[in-house]
Parts: sequence; C-alpha cells; structure tokens
Amino acid sequence: MAGIEKGLFRAEVAGNEKLSSACRLIRFARPEGFPDAKPGHFVAVRVNSSPVPLLRRPYSIMDLTETELVLLVKVVGPGSRLLGEAEVGDWMDIAGPLGGTVFPSPDGEDAVFVGGGTGLAPMIFAARTWKREKDSANTYLIHGAATSEELLGTFCEEDFTKVFRSTMDGSEGFNGDAVSFLQSLLKDGAISASKLYSCGPAGMVKSLELKVSTRFDSHYTSLEAVMACGVGACRGCTVPSREEEGRKLMAVCSDGTVFDASQIAWEDWE
Amino acid sequence: MSTTGSIKVTIGDILFDNPVFLASGPAGYGEEYDGFIDLQRLGGIVTKTVTYEPKAGNPGTRLQETPGGLLNSVGLENVGASVFFGEKLPRLLDRGIRPIVSLAAEDWDGYRKLLDAAADTGMIDIVELNLSCPNVERGGMAVGTDPRMISRYVGHAKDILSGAAIIAKLTPNVQDIGRLALAAEEAGASAITAINTIVGMDIDIRVKKPVFKRKRAGLSGPAIFPVALEAVWRIVNTVDIPVIGVGGIDSVDDALKFFMAGAAAVQVGTAIFYDSHLPEKIVTELEKNGIPASINTEGN
Repeated sequence: MAGIEKGLFRAEVAGNEKLSSACRLIRFARPEGFPDAKPGHFVAVRVNSSPVPLLRRPYSIMDLTETELVLLVKVVGPGSRLLGEAEVGDWMDIAGPLGGTVFPSPDGEDAVFVGGGTGLAPMIFAARTWKREKDSANTYLIHGAATSEELLGTFCEEDFTKVFRSTMDGSEGFNGDAVSFLQSLLKDGAISASKLYSCGPAGMVKSLELKVSTRFDSHYTSLEAVMACGVGACRGCTVPSREEEGRKLMAVCSDGTVFDASQIAWEDWE
Repeated sequence: MSTTGSIKVTIGDILFDNPVFLASGPAGYGEEYDGFIDLQRLGGIVTKTVTYEPKAGNPGTRLQETPGGLLNSVGLENVGASVFFGEKLPRLLDRGIRPIVSLAAEDWDGYRKLLDAAADTGMIDIVELNLSCPNVERGGMAVGTDPRMISRYVGHAKDILSGAAIIAKLTPNVQDIGRLALAAEEAGASAITAINTIVGMDIDIRVKKPVFKRKRAGLSGPAIFPVALEAVWRIVNTVDIPVIGVGGIDSVDDALKFFMAGAAAVQVGTAIFYDSHLPEKIVTELEKNGIPASINTEGN
C-alpha cells in the first residue's frame, strides 16, 4: 500500500470515559513507534485474544497526540462491547495507522464538518489537526443523532468555531436530520463555507452529496465498512465508484477511507 | 519428514526454506502486509487467485463474521493476468519472497489463455490450481467437484507449464475429497492443498433477505479447522504426493496438528487478519522443535 507506514502495536488503555448511553471515549497511551497519522486514518483493534469475536474492529482515529491515541466507540455488538468495557491498564493489539487516503486540508478556507453518530471522530481529528497547523479558518460542526441521549457534541465544543446539533426526535437542537439542518443553515445564511467534510451512516453521506454538495467547492467523506484485513488484501470492504472507464469497486480500507463523494456510485451502493 | 534438523520442504522440485505459507485470498498480493508480516521469513505465499481477465468480484455485502468464522463472498476479485504477471509477481520475486501462483478460470478457454500467459512469463515454477472457489458462477467448485474435470485441468497445466510443480487445491464440499485428490495425483499433480472454504450462508432477519447477493458464501476461520484436519488426514491416506493443510489455523498448536495428520506443509489464511504474526510464530516453533512426525499410519 502506497505512502503510509503502518505496524502492529500493543497499546495500554489509559482512559475510558462515558459520553452517552452507548458511546465511550477510549484513550490509549500512544505506543512507542506508532507512526504519525492524518485525518481520515484509522486503526484496527483486536478486542480480545479469543476467536469470538474473530476480526479486528476498525475505528477512525479521533485524536493522536504525542502521548495519546483516542477512539470514539459506540457499543453496537460483541466487539465494541468488549472494547467499551476496557479498563485502564488493559493492553490491546492495535494495527495502524491504516487507510490509503486522508482528508485534504481546507487550505485556510472555511469548512463545514458533518458527523453522524460516531462519524464525529474523524471530523474532530481533522478540526484539531488543522487548528494545530493553522490550516483552517472558520470550522462548523453539524452533529446529528437519533435522540438527545445519543448526541455527543458537548465534549468537542472548543474544537470548532461553532457546533450545531440536531436530533431526529427533536429532543435537542434542530428537529430533523443533519442534512436538512445544514440545508436550512445555508439558506438562512447562518453559515457559509467552501469545503464540506463528512463521516457517518451511508444514507446521511449519500443525502449530503445529492442534496447539499453543490453549495460547496468539494465534498470529501470518510466511509464506514465491515473489514477483515484492513490493508486492501482481502477485498472484503468494496464500494462502487465512478471511474473514467466506468464503474470500479474500490476497497474502503486501502483506496479510502476518504473519497471525493462525487466519485462514489451511490445508486449502486446498498 | 523428520522431527529434528532441517525444516525445509520440497514440493515438486521446489525446495522451500520452511513449510509455512500464507493462503491464497487473505494473502492478497503480499505487499499489502508490509509492516505487519515479515514475508521473507515464511516458506512462501500463495498469491490471490488470478484469472485471465481482471475480475471485479461480487456486488453487495462480501463479509460476515460468525462465531469463530468468517463468511466471504468476494468472488475472486483480481487484477487479471496482465497486471499480475507484469507487476505484482515481479515485485514479490524482486523482494526475495517465494510465491506460489494461484490460478483459476471461468471456462476452458480462459484457462488455456491463463496458462499460456503464465508460461510466457518464464517466471513460474509452481502453481496452485484453485479448483474449488464456491463464490463464482462458473469454474471454481463446478470444476473442482468432478474428478474428470480435475484430471483434465491438472493434465493441461502439466503440459503447458512443463517442469513446473502443479498443486491442486480442493473443495471440502463433496462426499469424498479423497477421490478428488486421487484424480489430481493420477493426472500428475505434485501436491494437494486442502481445504478451500466450506459453503455456508446467513440471513439478515431485519430485511428478511440472505446477507449475500449470491446467497451462499465461503466459510473460513477457526470454525472449519476440524473439517480441514479430517480432510487432510483422509487425503494423506489416499495419495502419495505431499498434502498442504489449510483451513482455520488459529494457533501454533493447530499447525502442529496438521503435521501430525501427515501434512507436509501448512497455509495460514483468515488468522492473518487478526493475529498477523501467527505464521512467523509457527516458523519459530518449527525451528525450535522441528516438524512433528505424522501419526497417521492408516491406509497405505
């Protein structure tokens, strides 16, 4: 795989903080020799040493500092449950950093980040990285969730110029989905930006691309997928994309995870 | 085979430094695992199955984890003969990695073209015929369950790749895998690889549909190890050529069990996804304690 140094590491859990009913912030001490990562890179965590659950679980990097590797974990199945139960001092096997592409910098222009659920994680990493590098001007986060109980926005308030929240049941923030919210914010002139970045459920990203992306110069999205190898070998996590010569299947793990959203053949993706 | 001394193994005329390989499919083209696996330390890698034309593979969901297993419906996605022989294979050879080239075809015409292309490279001294993929419409298992077809495919490979070692990789989705192995041996195969994935399926109860577009998929991983072990035991009792054990190796001990069943070599597949150092750990164990002798004294 081109361009990125990666490896296998043993990482010690340094913190496990509850953010919502289902979501946790898992902090690992950065393993010695763990390469620098960029926004959009991910790691694959082996949650235990038994064959159930079998595979490593992929997580976007939410932050990587000189001392910490931070992941945002939503408990949805047996793998994430074990990771969510991790205690300080536990050790886990981590492969990373993985991914063949990263979010391109906004180059000093204003940017909108749309994070659905734990799709928030790479949005935070991007905002923090570019703030450190002074690469972005204004950054707006639209964070959508099903209910107020699942909203995660408060802990990352200072990472963005402004944070907007929406819930599908209207229990907090805008009543509706994140895409409709962004549409109304743009219409009202509450925000304006030239760059759009997103990560979240496929339905949300597809809707962003089809309904809103024309208001921006570019829309880059980090896709989620079930993965086995995480390095492009097994071809298990493919997504249909538009190429000059027609349709092509791209591996989310190694051809992405970050794609120009206009290159995804959304109509062919289930 | 010995319990001490050299752990080198010979298949056909090819001498391998040790009898631990990566299995076709999970191994990709090898280069993907840079930073994860020291490929030079392994006996070799069986490259991702290549077909004559590039193949996009199957649409829709391709992976589904099961307790101790992994269902896949990748469908032999690969870069095709031209890119494989022109780019992928030379890169492995340049790096001193020992490839065993996995070949498959959708029909006889494609098979002939593929073998001709392989022969033209002048680089191929050992191949593994994938006569057993359950995830493709034609070729694969349809060929691999018929002893006459196995005989025809192995025989043609012998003719075209003269001097090369031909390994036949067999499917367990038959009543008697020993019969298939015998057909391959009689047609001139240098070795048998057993097993490929086991046919399985899953249903998504929320949408009331099979998880995979093709409904059926191939099961790999620790869940299939006992099936693979029995198949290897059975084949060792049926043929005289070396048998390469593959299917569900999850630990060093599992590899030792294949050798005790009479295997001459082993391949690690699904486990490299979650325990990428396992093949190297098996090599280290063999270097330390030798290859265990076969306890399989049944049959011939």
